[in-house]
Amino acid sequence: MERKTFPGTLDSLAGIREVVKEEAQRAGLSKKAAYNLMLALDEIATNIIVHGYEETGTEGVVDVLVDHSDSQLTVILEDDAAPFDPLQRELPNEEFFARPLEERPIGGMGIHLTINAVDEFKYEFTNNRNRNIFIVKTSDA
Amino acid sequence: MNVTSSTVEGITVIEASGSIDSKTASEFERNAIAAIQGKSAAIINLSNVDFLSSAGLRVLLMIYRQIKAQNGKVVLVGTSEEILDIMANTGFLSFFITAETLEEGINTLKAA
Repeated sequence: MERKTFPGTLDSLAGIREVVKEEAQRAGLSKKAAYNLMLALDEIATNIIVHGYEETGTEGVVDVLVDHSDSQLTVILEDDAAPFDPLQRELPNEEFFARPLEERPIGGMGIHLTINAVDEFKYEFTNNRNRNIFIVKTSDA
Repeated sequence: MNVTSSTVEGITVIEASGSIDSKTASEFERNAIAAIQGKSAAIINLSNVDFLSSAGLRVLLMIYRQIKAQNGKVVLVGTSEEILDIMANTGFLSFFITAETLEEGINTLKAA
């Protein structure tokens, strides 16, 4: 797998999205699928940087790994922040989205957007690293 | 990301360009909230915005709340199909008026 390493700061978001965009184009994803994959990566990378590093006063990196095989594009974010499984957070439910915007809590949408943006989203903690895994099906034979 | 605000035919127009993510959303927020202070209508021109994350949605929510407190309306102009999709999926879309062009947006607010 090809690995690109970014500093764990918000300045890296644009570069991470650019890597994803290029890979999505190379894999032949539609414009919409490519955008959604970029969004998913941006949301999770933001959480890693803000909650994993900045708020805890620690510094670290975010690695982006990409693999395109077996008709799927897999992108993995790896980081060295404390273990955090985004899927363990309570997701906004239907009642949340039915509420008028005046009454909605601010926030809580990032993980919802992520899960809906890709075909599969997984989390694992391996070799002392958080691994957030994003999988999108591609149409290649 | 870049944000400018202006007044067109008496209506506040905020124009953003580039990517609105967690890095840039605070600048969008600062400019937009200052520009709509006490206003009962606003147009947000997103024609040149190519990316909007949940941090950007959060700013749209704050703009909406401030204008709504004045019983006003917010028009989004030139929003890309991808961003409209995200807004539909999060229940945001129904609270905003959408228009394809600035002119259409202004006419909609004047007729309201």
